[in-house]
Amino acid sequence: MAKTLDKVKSFFKSIGRWFKSLVCTIDGREAKLLTIYHKPATKSIISSLISIFVGILLGGLILLIISITSGGKISLKAVWEGFRLIFIGVFNTGRDTNGNITFGFNSTNIGNVLFRATPLILTGLSVAVAFKTGLFNIGAPGQYLMGTAVTFIVALSIPTTIVPAWIVWILSFVAGFLAGALWGVIPGVFKAFLNVHEVITCIMTNWIAANIVTSLFDNNKGIFKHLLDPSPTKNLAYLYKTTENGVVTSKMGLDVLFPGSQVNGGIIIAIVIAIIVYIILNKTTFGYELKACGSNRHAAKYAGINEKRSIILSMAIAGGLAGMSAALYYLSGNTEFYWSTYQSLPANGFNGIPIALLAYNNPVGVIFSGIFMSYLNVAGLQLKNLTPFNEYITDIIIASIVYLSAFSLAFKEILNGNFFKRKKNKLFLENSQENSTKPKIIKEEESK
Amino acid sequence: MENYVIEMRNITKIFPGVVANDDITLELKQGEIHALLGENGAGKSTLMSVLFGLYQPESGEIYKNGEKVTIKGPNDANRLGIGMVHQHYKLVDIFSVLDNIILGAETTKHGFLRKKEAREKVIALSEKYKLHVDVDALIEDITVGMQQRVEILKMLYRDNEILIFDEPTAVLTPQEIEELMETMRGFKEEGKSILFITHKLNEIMAVADRCTVLRKGKGIGTVNIKDTSIEELSEMMVGRKVSFVVEKQPEKIGRTILRVEDLTVASKKHKNNAIKNISFDVKSGEIVCLAGIEGNGQTEFVQALTGLEKVASGKIELNNQDITHASIRKRSKLGMSHIPEDRHKYGLILDFRLEQNLVLQRYWEPKFQKHGFIDNQSVREYAEELIEKYDVRSGEGAVTIVRSMSGGNQQKAIIAREIDRNPDLLVAFQPTRGLDVGAIEYIHKQLVGQRDEGKAVLLISLELDEVMNVSDRILVMYEGEIVGEFDPKEVTTQELGLYMAGAKRDRREKPNG
Amino acid sequence: MTYLLQQTILYTVPLMIVALAGVFSERSGIINIALEGLMVIGAFIGVYFVRRIILLNAPLSFGQPLLLLGMLISIIGGCLFSLLLGFAAIKLKANQTIAGSALNLLAPALVLFLILLITSQSVLNIDSRYSSNDYFMLNQEDFGLGTKLENPLGVIGNVLFNKTYITTWICLALYIGLSIILYKTKFGLRLRSCGENPQAADSLGINVYKMRYAGVLISGGLAGLGGFVYSVTTVAASSNGDVAGFGFLALAVMIFGNWKPKNIAAAALLFGLLKCIAVGYPYIDINNDGIYFLNTIGISQHIYRILPYMITLVVLAFTSKKSRAPKAEGIPYDKGER
Repeated sequence: MAKTLDKVKSFFKSIGRWFKSLVCTIDGREAKLLTIYHKPATKSIISSLISIFVGILLGGLILLIISITSGGKISLKAVWEGFRLIFIGVFNTGRDTNGNITFGFNSTNIGNVLFRATPLILTGLSVAVAFKTGLFNIGAPGQYLMGTAVTFIVALSIPTTIVPAWIVWILSFVAGFLAGALWGVIPGVFKAFLNVHEVITCIMTNWIAANIVTSLFDNNKGIFKHLLDPSPTKNLAYLYKTTENGVVTSKMGLDVLFPGSQVNGGIIIAIVIAIIVYIILNKTTFGYELKACGSNRHAAKYAGINEKRSIILSMAIAGGLAGMSAALYYLSGNTEFYWSTYQSLPANGFNGIPIALLAYNNPVGVIFSGIFMSYLNVAGLQLKNLTPFNEYITDIIIASIVYLSAFSLAFKEILNGNFFKRKKNKLFLENSQENSTKPKIIKEEESK
Repeated sequence: MENYVIEMRNITKIFPGVVANDDITLELKQGEIHALLGENGAGKSTLMSVLFGLYQPESGEIYKNGEKVTIKGPNDANRLGIGMVHQHYKLVDIFSVLDNIILGAETTKHGFLRKKEAREKVIALSEKYKLHVDVDALIEDITVGMQQRVEILKMLYRDNEILIFDEPTAVLTPQEIEELMETMRGFKEEGKSILFITHKLNEIMAVADRCTVLRKGKGIGTVNIKDTSIEELSEMMVGRKVSFVVEKQPEKIGRTILRVEDLTVASKKHKNNAIKNISFDVKSGEIVCLAGIEGNGQTEFVQALTGLEKVASGKIELNNQDITHASIRKRSKLGMSHIPEDRHKYGLILDFRLEQNLVLQRYWEPKFQKHGFIDNQSVREYAEELIEKYDVRSGEGAVTIVRSMSGGNQQKAIIAREIDRNPDLLVAFQPTRGLDVGAIEYIHKQLVGQRDEGKAVLLISLELDEVMNVSDRILVMYEGEIVGEFDPKEVTTQELGLYMAGAKRDRREKPNG
Repeated sequence: MTYLLQQTILYTVPLMIVALAGVFSERSGIINIALEGLMVIGAFIGVYFVRRIILLNAPLSFGQPLLLLGMLISIIGGCLFSLLLGFAAIKLKANQTIAGSALNLLAPALVLFLILLITSQSVLNIDSRYSSNDYFMLNQEDFGLGTKLENPLGVIGNVLFNKTYITTWICLALYIGLSIILYKTKFGLRLRSCGENPQAADSLGINVYKMRYAGVLISGGLAGLGGFVYSVTTVAASSNGDVAGFGFLALAVMIFGNWKPKNIAAAALLFGLLKCIAVGYPYIDINNDGIYFLNTIGISQHIYRILPYMITLVVLAFTSKKSRAPKAEGIPYDKGER
C-alpha cells in the first residue's frame, strides 16, 4: 500500500517538475516554453497569427467606417453582427425570432469549408513548392485550366459501362496531374535553358492555356464540343458534370459527418498530398536539392546539383499540383465548368499565392492556410446573407493579412526585441562560443 | 600645438553586437599621408565612414582646422572638402564614366543635365593628374584599375582637399600600385591631405608619413614612419609577435595527381581567352601555389578545373583519368575537393543548417541516404564528428543556421567538409580571405597537414606572404599564362612581383612524367 | 483598317503607360507587381468621381474637362494606393513581391466591396442614361474636320482625329516627357542610380529612400491613370474590379522591353496590334477593296488570340540573354549594412 502511495506521489511530482520546466530555468537549462518561443518556426507562427489578428481587426474597422459614412442606413448593430460573423460566421444557424443571429453546428457551412479548401490547398502547394526552389509560379491558373480540360475529357469520354467508374476516376485524376505538370514544364524549360524570367513565361502560358481550353470546347468548332451540356438551363455554356458519366469522388463518409454540404473525400486526398509534399521536400535528397537551388543556386551548382533538372522538375511538380487541384475540384461531381474562359483566369489558381505566402511555403502550413482562407470565404457568404454588407469584406481581410505578413520580418524583429534602435546598446552575443575577434559586450542601456 | 586639418576625438561607433570604434582619436596634419593600419574587422573602414558621414558616431567630435563640425552625410563631408575612395567601388555599372563622376554633383539647367562643362572639367583633371580614363565608356566595360581612377576623379571633381583611400591596392598590379603612390605623392605636394586604410605593411613604409594603428576597435597608437619598422607595426597591429613562417616538414613528393595540359578557357568579360594554353602538374605531397594579381585568370582557371565552367580546349587529368568534360559531381567522386573563393556564393547555403552544409558534397552517398530518403541520424552524427574534430564553433551546434556563424567558423566548416572527404587533390582558392590572424594560422596548418599526409594541394592566392610561406612550388600567372615557376626558398618577393606584373616572363616547357 | 488602327492605339496607350509605371518603380529599386491592383484602383476612383460629379449635376459635369478631372483623380488615387507598397518596401523592408501580390488581392476586393455597397450591382458606370462615349469621345467634327464620312485627311485623319480621346494624346505626351526626364535630367539620373547601386548613390549624398518613394509614387500615379484610361477607352468608363490581366501584361511588356522606354513602346505596339487583330480580324479590310481577307483564310479565332502570347515567348527565347533588370531591384536598402 505504501509503495503504491509512493508511486502516485512520485508520479505527481514528475508532472509538477515537467510543468516547472516549461516556465522556469532549471540547472542552467532555460524554460521549455522559452526554448519553443526562441525557435524561428514559432516566431513565424506567432507573427502569422499577429497578421491574421490585425487583418481581421482592419476588416471590422472598415465595416465600422462604412456604417458611419452611410448616414444611418447601416446600423452599428449590423457592424457588430458582421464582425462576429467574420470570426464565427461558419457556425451560424440563422436568425431566431428576435432577429438575433444564433450559432451552433452548421454542418453545411463546415462541410463546404472543407470542400472549398480542397483546390485551394493544392494550388497553395503548387505555389509553395515552386517558391522553395526559388521560382514564382504565377502560372498556376494556366496549369489549373489544362488540368480541368484533360480531367473532363478523360472523365467524360471513357464509358463507365465498360470500365468501372473508380478506374475512370483514377485515370482522370492522373491525367489532370500530367496535364498540369506538362504545362508547368514550359516556364521551367524557359528558365532553365533560356534564362527567361518565369513570371513573364507564366503570364503568357496562362493566357495561352485559357485560349487552348476555350478552343477545345468551343460550341462551334471545338473538338470536344460534344461534352457540352445542352439542357435548357445550361445552354451549351457549361460542360457536363462528371456525374453524367457516373464518375464522382467518393464521399468517404464525410457526407455523414457534414450533411447538407458538398464535402467529399477530396479534402482527405488533398491533405495526404500535402503531407507527401512535406516529406519529399524535407526528408529526401530530391527535396534537399530543390531547396538548395532555391536558396543558393551557385552553391547548389558547386555541390554538383543539376540546377536545370531541379528547376524543370520543380515546375513540373508545381504544375502537377495545380492540375490535381482542378481534377479534385471537378471530379467532385457538383461543380460546373464554364468553358469560354479565354478572358478570365480561374480564381482558384491565383488564390494559391496568398495561401502559400501565409504558410511561409511550408506544405503542412498550406493545409491550415488553405482551410483558413476557405473558412473566411464561407464566413463572407454568411455576411452577404445576414447583413447589408457583402462577401468581399473577407477578401479584403485576406489581402490585408497577406500584406501584413509581408513585413513579418519586422514583426519577428519586434518579438526579438531588436526593432527599436536604442536597444542596440543592450546586447550580448548569444553565440558565446564564437571564435571571433569581435569583443563580447554586455552594456546597460544608455539614454541617448 | 600642431595644426591639424582634421581631428577625430573620442569617436565611438556601435553596431548590433559589436563596438566597431571604441573611443578612438585620430589626428591628420595638413599635407601629410597618414596611414590607418589594422587587421580585418579592426574598425578602420568604420572610422573613415564616420568621417565621410556614412555613419553617425554614438559619441565623439570631429574638428576641421580647429573648428567643430557635424557631418551628417556625404554632402556635409563634401562641403568640408572630404572625399573617399571606397574599398568596394561605388560605381553604377551601366552608367558611363562621366555620369558616375557627376552623379550627386550634377550641373543642371532647369533640371536638365548639362554635360558639356562637366566633360571638359573631367578631361582637364584627368590630364592634370595623369589619371587616364575613357570618359564615355561604361563602367562594366573598363578595367578595375580604370575604375579606381574614376573613383579618384570623383573626389577631384568635387575639389576635395582631404582624400580618404580605403584599401586602394587590393586589386592593382604592382605597376598600378606604384602609379597610385606617385599620384598620392603628387596630391601631397599640392597640399592635399591623405588618409589611407590598409593592412599592407610594406606599402605604409613606402609612402606614409605617419600611421595610426587600430586593433579590435581601439586605437593603439600613432607613430612616425621614419621612426618605426615593419616588425613594430605588425606587433602593434596584432598584439603579439607574429611568426611569419609556417612550420613545415620537408616535402615528400610522390606521383602526379593533377595534370593540366594546354588548357584554354574563354573569358566572359572580353573576347580574349582568360586562360591561354597553360600546362602544369601537381604531385602528391606538395603544395603548389598559383600566384598572381587578381584578375589574371585565376577565377576562370579554378572554375574550369572544378567544372563550374566549360573548357575551350586542352586536357585536365586527375589520377590519370580525363576529367576535362566531367560533371562537377564526377570530379568530386574522383577525389577533388574545392574550397571556393567566395564562401557565401559557392561554399555554403547560408539559410541551411550547419549539418546540411557539412554534407553538401556527400548527401547522396549510401551512408547518408536510403532510396532517396535522407538518414537524418547519420547526417547529425557526421556533422557532430566534424564539429568536434575541426573545432567549428556555432551558436547551436549542428542545427545552427549558417548565416549566423562568423566568417572564420564558416570557413572552418567548409574546410572541414572538404578535407574530411579525403581528397587526392585539394583546391583552395583564397582560403584565408577576410579572416583574422588566428583563423589564418589554423587554415595554413590544415593545408600543410594535408600535404604532409600525401595529398596534392593546389593553392591559389593573392597574398604574397601566404604564397611565400605556405607553398612548396610557386607558379606565377599573368594574363592567363604561366610566366614563371619558382622555389619559394630561392626567390624574392621583388622578383615575384616583377613576374606578377608581367615585366618578366620565362619560357615554359611542358612538364614530363 | 482604320478601325483596326484606332483600336490598336486605344489598346496600346494604357499598356505603354502602365509599363512605364513599372519602369519608374523598378528603376528606383522597388519591384512593383501591383500594377494590376493599381489599375483597378485608378479605374474605380476615376469612374466613381466622374459619376458623383454627374449625379450632382455640378459645373464641369460634361466632356473633356470632366475627363481631365477624372484622370487627375485617378493619378492621385494610384499614388495613395502605391504608398502602401512604398511604405512596406522602403520603411519596413518587406518582401516586395509579397507586398505587391497583397495589393493585387486588396484592390479588387476593396473595389468590389464598395461597388456592391454603392449600386447593389457588380459594375459601376458613370451614367446609366448616356453612353460614356457621348461624354468623352472626340470625333472629327470636334476638330473642325466636317461631318462627312470621308475624313479630308484620309486614313491618317480618321485614325488620329476621329473616334479618339484626349487621353491618348495626354498619355503619349506624358510618356515622352517622363522618358526624357528619366534619361536627361538630374532627377532621372539619380533615380536610376538608386536601382542599380544604392550604396553608391548614398555615398554621393543622394537620399535613396526619398528617391525610391518618388519612384513608387510616380509608378502608382501612372498605373492609376492607366487604369482609368483603360476603363474609359476600352470598357465604356465602367469599373468592375477587374482589368483583364492588363497590369500583368504591362509587367510582361516592361520585361520584354528590357526596362527601356523605346523598346517598351515598340513591344506595347506589337502587342496591341496583335490583340486587336485577334478581336477584329473578320472586319479588317486592308486596302479598302471590300474584301475581308483575314476572314476568308479560315484561321481559327483562337489562334489569333494566342498569337501575341506565342510571339512574345518566341522573341523572349531569342533575346533573353541581353535582359538586364535593374541590378538592385527587390533588395531593400539598409543604410547600416556593412
